[in-house]
Amino acid sequence: MEEFFNKIKESFTEATLEFETINIKVNSTEWIESHKKLRDKFNLKFFSWLSAIDWDNEVSVGEAPKESVSPCFEVITCLTDLANNNLVTLSTIISKSDPKIDSLVEIYAGANWHEREAYEMFGINFENHPNLEKLYLPDGYEGNPMLKSFELISREVKPWPGEVDVEGMPEESESKE
Amino acid sequence: MVNALGPQNLNSFSEASVSVEIETEDMTLNIGPQHPSTHGVLRLVAKVDGEKVHDVKPVLGYMHRGYEKLAEVRSYPQITTLVNRIDWVAGFSNEIPFIAGAERLMEIDVPERAKYIRLILTEMARISSHFVFNGAYALEVGALTPIFYAMEDRERVLDLIESVTGGRFHPNFNRIGGVKPAAGAGPTSKKNIQDLPAGFYRDTKVAMEKVIMAADQFQNLIGGNEVFKKRTKNVGVLTPETAEAYGVSGPILRASGVKSDLRMQTDYLPYDQFDYDIPVGENGDCYDRWDVRVKEMVESAKIVLQAIDSMPSGPLQAKVPKVIKVPQGRTYVRAENPKGEMGYYIVSDGGLGPYRLKVRTASFSNVSILPIMLEGALLPDLIAIMGSLDFVLGDVDR
Repeated sequence: MEEFFNKIKESFTEATLEFETINIKVNSTEWIESHKKLRDKFNLKFFSWLSAIDWDNEVSVGEAPKESVSPCFEVITCLTDLANNNLVTLSTIISKSDPKIDSLVEIYAGANWHEREAYEMFGINFENHPNLEKLYLPDGYEGNPMLKSFELISREVKPWPGEVDVEGMPEESESKE
Repeated sequence: MVNALGPQNLNSFSEASVSVEIETEDMTLNIGPQHPSTHGVLRLVAKVDGEKVHDVKPVLGYMHRGYEKLAEVRSYPQITTLVNRIDWVAGFSNEIPFIAGAERLMEIDVPERAKYIRLILTEMARISSHFVFNGAYALEVGALTPIFYAMEDRERVLDLIESVTGGRFHPNFNRIGGVKPAAGAGPTSKKNIQDLPAGFYRDTKVAMEKVIMAADQFQNLIGGNEVFKKRTKNVGVLTPETAEAYGVSGPILRASGVKSDLRMQTDYLPYDQFDYDIPVGENGDCYDRWDVRVKEMVESAKIVLQAIDSMPSGPLQAKVPKVIKVPQGRTYVRAENPKGEMGYYIVSDGGLGPYRLKVRTASFSNVSILPIMLEGALLPDLIAIMGSLDFVLGDVDR
């Protein structure tokens, strides 16, 4: 993995290797070229997945980031090479006010459904996508459920019991006896 | 056109019927969402021109439960309960990459014995998943008998999983740092609590030998059947190039001739300790996809037999903090599940639960290939092709 990482580093200086996962940060304008390069030059032909992260300081669900972040979407893809077992994740930042990015369908046909999912869940527009419509959600559904601002209604109505229903470990209960 | 029907041009009537082109209109055919062969609630909207299918549109979402959203409001130990239910035919396998990811971020070394127990149970989950496929696929292409054999044999494996974990489908057995003390391990004494149930090794040996026998039986009962061969050979051929671009993984990819198996390529479980083969197909047709899975069952059984012979002793749990907090960081862990590559991309911000959890499931990518494979296929082949992909809708929709 180290060897492959060094090779990647020659082409992508911003690449990092953390927790056995190589991550390459690219500018959103280089999105298409970077993928082409990784596919053709580094033989990463297997399209594993595409998704996004909603970075925001004000959240309706879960915990807010510990350190303040500038609100944005991070789009991530994961590419692998089956023959040599290399894997990289590629990420880019796009603005929340005008969330758009070029579609990867031309390069990786498999990106089609993943982009449709990110479109409905986050509201990201994938430009030049052949068929950008909802994948899971019914027609007429309003909102983008994976946004941090999107409330989880069931949790609002009835708070999760949380730690109350968690069983203690066996050693714990024994030491009390 | 009409002239061709004139008696002066005809030698026989059958010749006439061939030379006449019948103009037909496209008919839209709706298949599912509640069709027995859709393994859940998949809906296909297909255009049918006579017997030819084209322009197939899968309609998803009937089983969408929003696990990625739910994961954001749960703590790490609570999430294993959720992920069990993604691919319910092999619930145990779904836990492995998630737990491995959390452990990697927390930098925990899992005891060997716990790893072996995980490995044995994942392989059992693989066997039980392939049993379901074998029975169901034969049923889909018209053979009623094999499913009864498959279900009976699968029950033996499920009993073993139940004896250890306490659950047949949703074991929820993995803990960060190891595994839960086994369900059948006996009451309270500290000595017994961390062990497998009595007679587990003996029962496993018997069950695995039965699995190998059952696979042999399937090769005769299903694979040797002329009708089955006719319906599956050279039907739904998938090239390795298309498979790669669409992210198709697992037995489907291997049936197309790509020798790729994450068990050998990554180290999420100690598979390198064992001797086993990776079955690979030649043509990438429905028959190969079936054949690869049957052979995989035998290999899995071999792995389990080797694992129980070389089971290390020791604790089942590493030392972990009482309140599980995963340090800041992100990682992607993938595993070879019965249906293909399953992985979790965990983005942790140092809290009790992940900031974002992306679930990569095998069936999602595997089903995305359907419109390409079904383009121009015959209508009766539609079910044969769809069934050979062996997907579970929980795994597609999440």
